[in-house]
Amino acid sequence: MALAPEPRPGPAGRARQRAFVPMAAPALALLTVFVLGPACYAVWISLQQTAGYGESRFVGLRNYARLLGDPVFHTALLNTLKLLVIGGGVTFVTGFALTMVLREMRGRLVARNILFFPNIVSALVPAIVAGFLFNPDGLVNTVLRSVFGVSDPPKWLAVDNTFTLILIVAIWAAVGYYTTIIMAAVDRIPAYFYEDCALLGATSWQRLRHVTIPLSWDVFSVCALLWTISSIKVFELVLVFGGGTAGTPPSSTWTVALYSYAATYGGSGSPPELGMTAASALVSLLIAAAVVLLLRRALDREAVRF
Amino acid sequence: MRPTLRLTGLAPVRMAVWAVVAADVALLAWVLITSLKSTREVFDHPWRLPMPPTPDNYLTALEVGNFGRAAVNSAVVGVLSSLLAVAVAAPAAYALTRTTNRAGRPLTLLFALGTGVPTQVILLPIFLMLSSLELTSTLTGLTLAYVGTAMPFTVFLLTGFFRSLPGELEEAAALDGAGVWRTFLRIVVPVARPGLVTVFVLQLIVSWNETMLALVLMQDDEKETLPVALIGFAQQQQYTGTNWGGMFAGVCVVVLPMVVLFAWVGRRVTEGMTLGMGK
Repeated sequence: MALAPEPRPGPAGRARQRAFVPMAAPALALLTVFVLGPACYAVWISLQQTAGYGESRFVGLRNYARLLGDPVFHTALLNTLKLLVIGGGVTFVTGFALTMVLREMRGRLVARNILFFPNIVSALVPAIVAGFLFNPDGLVNTVLRSVFGVSDPPKWLAVDNTFTLILIVAIWAAVGYYTTIIMAAVDRIPAYFYEDCALLGATSWQRLRHVTIPLSWDVFSVCALLWTISSIKVFELVLVFGGGTAGTPPSSTWTVALYSYAATYGGSGSPPELGMTAASALVSLLIAAAVVLLLRRALDREAVRF
Repeated sequence: MRPTLRLTGLAPVRMAVWAVVAADVALLAWVLITSLKSTREVFDHPWRLPMPPTPDNYLTALEVGNFGRAAVNSAVVGVLSSLLAVAVAAPAAYALTRTTNRAGRPLTLLFALGTGVPTQVILLPIFLMLSSLELTSTLTGLTLAYVGTAMPFTVFLLTGFFRSLPGELEEAAALDGAGVWRTFLRIVVPVARPGLVTVFVLQLIVSWNETMLALVLMQDDEKETLPVALIGFAQQQQYTGTNWGGMFAGVCVVVLPMVVLFAWVGRRVTEGMTLGMGK
């Protein structure tokens, strides 16, 4: 990694110092106005009871207490944690396995790019297509009936199954991205390590265990970090999964992001609760922060230099 | 080829990978083909090619689903906000990587931290702020919101990129008496062009697909973007029974521009997304 130039006195250095503020200020102002400021203001909103119009009342931590007692929030939290832990684990292991397989495949870039493709498509699209594939008379059941002779195909979109399907689709969409990142890291490992392995007669498992994994370790923690951040944002996939419902989908499929949205924009006749939106969103942020800190501890090893 | 890395017994796994890849392509092709079928054909002959292909679904999507208007809005907001985001983020990222100022490091960290703030946290404050400025349901408001929320990601990516550029040319320019801005515009920007284009494309993809802010900020049909139109169309059909042909036409309007973009600059996108990760 190239380091920033050393401090250098003299006219060039001073000019650079003077230019620092005008160059960085606009971006910093935007960051403050649209990200950091709003995040702080969300803390304030989370302490209020307000519908956005009329009067608002300061209620202290009562919104958070309500979240603790709300079974719908428990489900949403559990679903988000499933995405974070199960989804993350499966995505990562699959991504790593794919890297190992793709490395020695002909057409690896073509395969990787196609697997990557879901990442540049709105999550609304797989959510809607899933409705076509899995609805009672959808494509999957048509195939099961006509090709495999299954007379009573499963009810894929039954409320109990929906979240599992969402989880699978989320993994399918993310795998290509993580494969790409892991592949970039593994490709940087110099070939002579593997040549040494060959000379020493190492098995493929030993190569994996003693060369590939330790030498790409720092990218694993990057992946964990990225997944944590993105898994708490899962929203549109849930919102229209299976083809869309008027208003919000059944609450057993909600993630915390959807809970936050629905508390104000649920439109089920109950007044919007801005305080609950802010409080639940902040809980998801706190969880992500806690997971990131834990992961840093767990994954923090001395990076192997090469 | 890396013959030294060969693992044994991978043939079935390789087949499985190609099966998934083929399924992905087939699914995309399916959506495209179905969008050209009449509603009857969609279910009566799911396996057949459309005979004859009909643009009816696209007309439905344009008229009933408002997809034409929404596509224009999405394109305008996407291109404008991504251009502005890069124009603002590039000098900032450059200053942050090259400064000797003690504030440089903590400020860079601040941008990195910003990437961790999920949209649901800042959704209401942004809505209230834009609403008090009467900028909700305006393309200006959405563009502003996208430029602002793009800052953490764009600055973070570009600091990684500028750090990987050698500083010698800039030093030489500075010794020749060129000012910092002049050096930046004349020397750094041309050299950094691939990185800037990558960040622009990535941001374009992000804003094209962004849903939560658009859903909340754009309450006016005339001003909605594609994801909002797609959700609206899906929800309308809750009552009328799903018109899958029309739905898939809408899906194609959302997806195809991204397919074209990805086919055109795909390598750049995948490289850009892994830029500055690890070392």
